[in-house]
Amino acid sequence: MNFKEIAKRGETGPLTEANDFLMKRVSANVLKLEKKYEITWDGKTLVNLDEEMADRCWQAGKELLLSSGVFSMGSKRIIELSPGEVEEALRFAPAELPMGQGKDAVRVYHRRVEDPRKPFVFGGPFNADVSEEHFVKLNEAFAQERLIDSLLFPGYLKKLDGQMIRPTSALASRAAMLYGQWSREAVRRAGRPGMPITGHAVMAQNEIACTNEHWGLRSTDPRAMVLISELQVDDVTMTRLAYYLAYGCPIYMAFTPLIGGYGGGPAGTAIVAVASFIASVVLGGEVVHIGPQHIKFKQQTNQHSLFLAGLANQAVARNSRIIATTSHTTSGRPGSAQYAYEFSALALTAVTSGSNVTGPRPAEPLGFNNVSPLMARLFAEVSHAAAGMKRENAAEIVAKLYEKYKDKIDLEQAPKGQAFEELYDLQTLRPTSEHQALYEKLKEELIGMGVPLDG
Amino acid sequence: MTSEANKDTIFAAMRESIENYDSEAAVAAAKQAVESGIDLLEAVEKGFAEPIRKLGDAFDRMEIFLPQLMLGSDAMKAGTAVLDEAITAGGGSIKSKGAVVIGTVEGDIHDIGKTVVAALLQANGYAVHDLGVEVPASRFIEAAESRKADIIATSALLSTTMLYQRDVLELLGNKGLRDKYFVVVGGAPVTQAWADEITADGYARGAYEAVRLLDARKGR
Repeated sequence: MNFKEIAKRGETGPLTEANDFLMKRVSANVLKLEKKYEITWDGKTLVNLDEEMADRCWQAGKELLLSSGVFSMGSKRIIELSPGEVEEALRFAPAELPMGQGKDAVRVYHRRVEDPRKPFVFGGPFNADVSEEHFVKLNEAFAQERLIDSLLFPGYLKKLDGQMIRPTSALASRAAMLYGQWSREAVRRAGRPGMPITGHAVMAQNEIACTNEHWGLRSTDPRAMVLISELQVDDVTMTRLAYYLAYGCPIYMAFTPLIGGYGGGPAGTAIVAVASFIASVVLGGEVVHIGPQHIKFKQQTNQHSLFLAGLANQAVARNSRIIATTSHTTSGRPGSAQYAYEFSALALTAVTSGSNVTGPRPAEPLGFNNVSPLMARLFAEVSHAAAGMKRENAAEIVAKLYEKYKDKIDLEQAPKGQAFEELYDLQTLRPTSEHQALYEKLKEELIGMGVPLDG
Repeated sequence: MTSEANKDTIFAAMRESIENYDSEAAVAAAKQAVESGIDLLEAVEKGFAEPIRKLGDAFDRMEIFLPQLMLGSDAMKAGTAVLDEAITAGGGSIKSKGAVVIGTVEGDIHDIGKTVVAALLQANGYAVHDLGVEVPASRFIEAAESRKADIIATSALLSTTMLYQRDVLELLGNKGLRDKYFVVVGGAPVTQAWADEITADGYARGAYEAVRLLDARKGR
C-alpha cells in the first residue's frame, strides 16, 4: 500500500473520537489479546528468554493492528488495514538501508536475536536542548566519535538571539535552516562530510526548511517521524512524511509505547509495541525506533521497560525483516556513573534481542547541553561488545547493573550530572581529565562485570 | 431492612460500581441513594470517594493502569452528578477540593500525560474540566471563567510549545485575572526553573506530584 492510499484512508476511514479509539479499540483489544496469546510478565524478568512468547507477542501485535487500525488525529478517522496489506508491507520492508554520502556512507540492517554483527549506532544530542553558541562544537564532538554511525537529532534550538522560538513562526523556519547548516558544518569539521545526520528539528512543518543538498540535510540523511502513543499519527507528521518520502530520504519512524498507559502493564504494552513496529512500516518507516516509556518513571531503564524492549525486539527480530533500533533514555545524567550503568543495561538487552541502538540521553536533561559525546562512545562500545552475546549472559550482567541504579530511578533522586561545556575543553574538544577518568573507571568496572570491552 | 442496613447496601453498590468501572451501575446506585433518603454527603464520601482513592493508590502501585483509572473516574463522575443534583436542590453542596481547568497547550498534540493528571485529580476530589489538546491561551481563560475554576493546569510535551504556557500567564495578567487563579505547569521538558521564569504558581513533574502540589496550595 503506497502513501497516497494511506493519506486517502486517513480522510475516509471511520470517524471517531480519540478517546474512543484508545479505550474501545486499543485498550479493549489489548486486554483480549493478552489473554488469548498468554503474554505475561512474571514480575522479575529483565531480559526475556522465552522465544515462544516472543512469537506469540508478534501474532498478538499484528492482530492488534488489524483490529484497531491507526488513528489520524487531524481528521479523527481510523486508517484501517487488511491482513493482505499488512503482509505486503512486511514483505517489502527493507532489511538493509543505505544512508550518508561518499566514503561516509553506511548501511543499517535488520538484526536477529543474538546476531554476531555489530549494531548500528545512532548517537548525538538526541533532541536535548542545545544552546546556539555551542551547537556546532557539541555536534562536532559527537561526530568525531568514530563508533557513531549517524549523528542523531542534533538538538533543539529552543532560542535564537535569546528569543524563544514559536513552532509555526518565521523564526522557527530560520531555526530549522540553521539546524541544517550547523549540523552539516559540525560533521564537516569532524572530517566526516557525508556522515548521515538523522534529523528531527521539531518545528512543525517548518522543519522541512532544514533541507538543502549543499548546506543542510540531504536526501541521504534520515528524517525522524514520531507516532503518538498509542497507534496515532498527527497531520504534521503526515505532512513531513509526504515531503520526505517524495524527496527520497530514509524514513526513521519512532514510537514510544507507554507502560501503564492504554496498553496496561509491560506485557500488554509489548503487544502495543509490536503493533506499532508494524504500523510504522505500513506508514513508510524504514528504520523503526522503539522508546519503551513508563508512566511512572518517565525513562527507559526500569525493569518494565527493559522487559518490554527485550520481548518486543525479539518478536520483531524473529518474525520480520524490520530494521529496529531502541532508544536509551536514563534517569542518571551525563557526568555520573549511573548514566552508564543504565544505558549499558538497556543496550545489552536491546542488542542481544536483535535491535540496533539509539542514544543515550537523560530522560530529564537539566538545562541546556546536558549531553556527553564521551559517554556516547562508551555506549557504542558496550553495544558493539553485546553483539553475539547470549541473552542469558546479557541477563546476568543486566541484573548486576540494575542493582546499582534501581534505587535512584526516580528523576529527583538521580544524579544531576553536568553540561557539555563542563565535561569538555571547548578549545580542544576533548573531555576534561575528570570526565576521561570517569570513562576509564566505568570501562574497567563494566569489564569486571563481564562486558567484553577489552576484546 | 433497617435504615442502617439499607444504607450499607447502597454504599456497597456504589463502591462496587467504581471497583467494576461501571458508570451505569454508579448512576443506578446514586439514584437509589437519592430515593432512599439517606445522607447524600455521606454517600459521596463512603460510596464514591473512598473506592476512587483506593483506585488511585492501586494505580500508583501499578496494579491497575490508565484505562481502569479513567473508567473508574468516569463512573464516579457520572454517579456524583446524580447526587450533586439532589444535594444542590436541597440547598447543599458537595465539598470539592477545587475546580481545575486542564489542557495541553496550543501547537501540542500530546495527550496522555495530561489525561493521567486529569484522571488522578478527579480521583482525588477535584472537579476537573479537561479541554483536550492544542488549547489556545485564551480558551484556558474562557473555560476557567465560565466553569468558575480555581486552578488552571497547562501541559506541554515539547520544548518548542512550552512558551505557550507563558502566554497563559501573560494573558491572565493582561486581563487583570492573574491573582484569581492558581496556575500550574507540567510536561516532559518543563522544570521548576521554567515555572519560576514565567511566574507560575507551581510545577509538577508527574500526576502524583500534581495532586500533592494542589493539595498543599495556599488559598487563592
